[in-house]
Amino acid sequence: MSESSETVSNESLGEELAGESALQTRSLWKDAVGRLLRNRLSVIGLIITLFLLVAALFGPYIAPYSYTEQDLLNVAKMPSPDHWLGTDEIGRDLFSRVLWGARTATLVAIFTTFISVIIGVIIGAIAGYGGALADNITGRIIDIVMSVPGLLLAALIAVSIKEPVVTWAENIYDTTGFPLFADTTWLDLLVVFGGLAFVSWPGYARLIRGQIFSLREEQYIEAAKSVGVSELKIALRHLLPNAIGPVIVTLTFSFSSAMVLESSLSYLGIGVQPPQASWGNMIASNIGSWSYRPWLVAVPALTLAIVTLGINFLGDGLNDALNPRSKRSI
Amino acid sequence: MFVYTIKRLAVAIPTFIAVLLITFTLTVLSPFDPVAMMMSQFEGTLDTLAREEVIERIRDQYGLNDSYWVQFSRWIGRLVQGDLGISINGQRDVLRMIVKTFPISFQLGLAGAVVTTILGIPLGCIAALRQNTWLDYTIVGGTLGFRTVPVFVLAPLLLVLFVLVLDIMRVPRGWDGLFQSKVILPVFILALGPLPVVVRQTRAAVLEVFSMDYVRTAKMKGLEMWRIILRHILRNALIPVVTTLGFIAEGLIVGSIFLDSIFAIPGFGGVAEAGFRGFDYPVIMGVTMVSAIMIILTNLIVDLVYPFLDPRIKIE
Repeated sequence: MSESSETVSNESLGEELAGESALQTRSLWKDAVGRLLRNRLSVIGLIITLFLLVAALFGPYIAPYSYTEQDLLNVAKMPSPDHWLGTDEIGRDLFSRVLWGARTATLVAIFTTFISVIIGVIIGAIAGYGGALADNITGRIIDIVMSVPGLLLAALIAVSIKEPVVTWAENIYDTTGFPLFADTTWLDLLVVFGGLAFVSWPGYARLIRGQIFSLREEQYIEAAKSVGVSELKIALRHLLPNAIGPVIVTLTFSFSSAMVLESSLSYLGIGVQPPQASWGNMIASNIGSWSYRPWLVAVPALTLAIVTLGINFLGDGLNDALNPRSKRSI
Repeated sequence: MFVYTIKRLAVAIPTFIAVLLITFTLTVLSPFDPVAMMMSQFEGTLDTLAREEVIERIRDQYGLNDSYWVQFSRWIGRLVQGDLGISINGQRDVLRMIVKTFPISFQLGLAGAVVTTILGIPLGCIAALRQNTWLDYTIVGGTLGFRTVPVFVLAPLLLVLFVLVLDIMRVPRGWDGLFQSKVILPVFILALGPLPVVVRQTRAAVLEVFSMDYVRTAKMKGLEMWRIILRHILRNALIPVVTTLGFIAEGLIVGSIFLDSIFAIPGFGGVAEAGFRGFDYPVIMGVTMVSAIMIILTNLIVDLVYPFLDPRIKIE
């Protein structure tokens, strides 16, 4: 080894010889991870995202106070050793509420993304495989949904389905007595999921459709077809692995936009209702007093800004890492 | 051109009708019962037996017992006459509320669009010309950051920064016309939302044009760089930027929903926000429809203007 490392050519030769096994271990994914970790911004994004996930999972255990506990002797206090980020307008610990808000935001973002991916993949697949007519019809539907601002449509849906959902739950509670249906906080979340999922799926449907159409032209798909591989097998074996990169990137971006939409709805008083903590309703309830209690607005606002920035940087890095050919084409 | 226009209209009109249908269906599903609302005023004056009868008669009178399609066509008929209904909170004419506030938001939005363009196109050019340098990363990364940070986050943070920390402005509140210093911050915040789209589009377009033969020829002839940029690159790169107008319109509308109340601007967005906060159905519907009309119209105009800007687009 020491002899061969004398010259550059020998070294590269040795690497090539050893490459037989290295070739198999250095997979596409490892490559992607390497590219991701070399990008400084995306590492920052990754760290912020991990922080968010930890806060969402363990926040309630880390939080020094409950999110509803009021300390009426210490209302709207500046940050102090007792209350790290101060207390809000009715004496609740701001740090604890921010942690609980992380849980709300993450929960909504995960569920909304999950629901809208499922709808989007189904409709995208119908558009991609169902022939020209199906493609036209789904294309129309997507155009229509996208022509209304997402926030307005989500808000309209949330407002409309809220009351029916609450009555439905009350009816179930009256007949079955399940304690689960007595609590309405998760119903708020359900309403938000519904509204947000409805406005987020078209992006996925378009993406999946585009992937199906563009990958179909690839020669390896043609080759697979010519040797008689079934459509389903081609879809699972070739289309899916190739489409997964762009899907992951879109997932990241829509995760942050779902979070922002949840905060927006909660800010407008449609989404998550107080006393449940959401960064949106925390900003809303203090925005009027920004000039004399700035930290009450600044803390949730900065948290939301940093988190969305971090996730976007991560998504950007993932885009470069997973689609190296489209480098810097955001 | 005529056929093209007809085709574009054939896309825009059904989209609009579908938006109407969605909005109406959501109202039918909605919890709001106008009759129950009316009856609550007579609480205690009617005995319970007569009450059911009265409610039924009122529902008949207002056609609330008719079928879905009858109600829908009647609703469309009223819309055509400009009747958007009456708000629940305050009993005001929704169309009047929108018409009164719309000009203010339109001016603000126009100013925002101008600022976005003025900032976005040069930034996109610089990023493209310095591709893959720190400048490029800073511009793209910086604007990317603002891609999703909402107005209700930016506005208070910038207010705290400019008014409390830096102390360079007084609290901007209210509306005294467009050419006032207090408009600067709201317009700037509005403009930040759609900015990344403009920057990205410009950057991509400039990069594409940059590799064209005529640019290389111009460079070989020894033309100065700024002249190449102005005469050859920018001119051709601006065409795809026009397509972002729809995004800009959407960004401005959504932005103003949050902006108006923060800066006490009596605009369209403020009406929308109050509508949402009060679960004020007619207002929410009116606002959604007007926004959808604005976006569909903007996209239609972009589609119609585009062939003139780029003759390569096939008109048929």
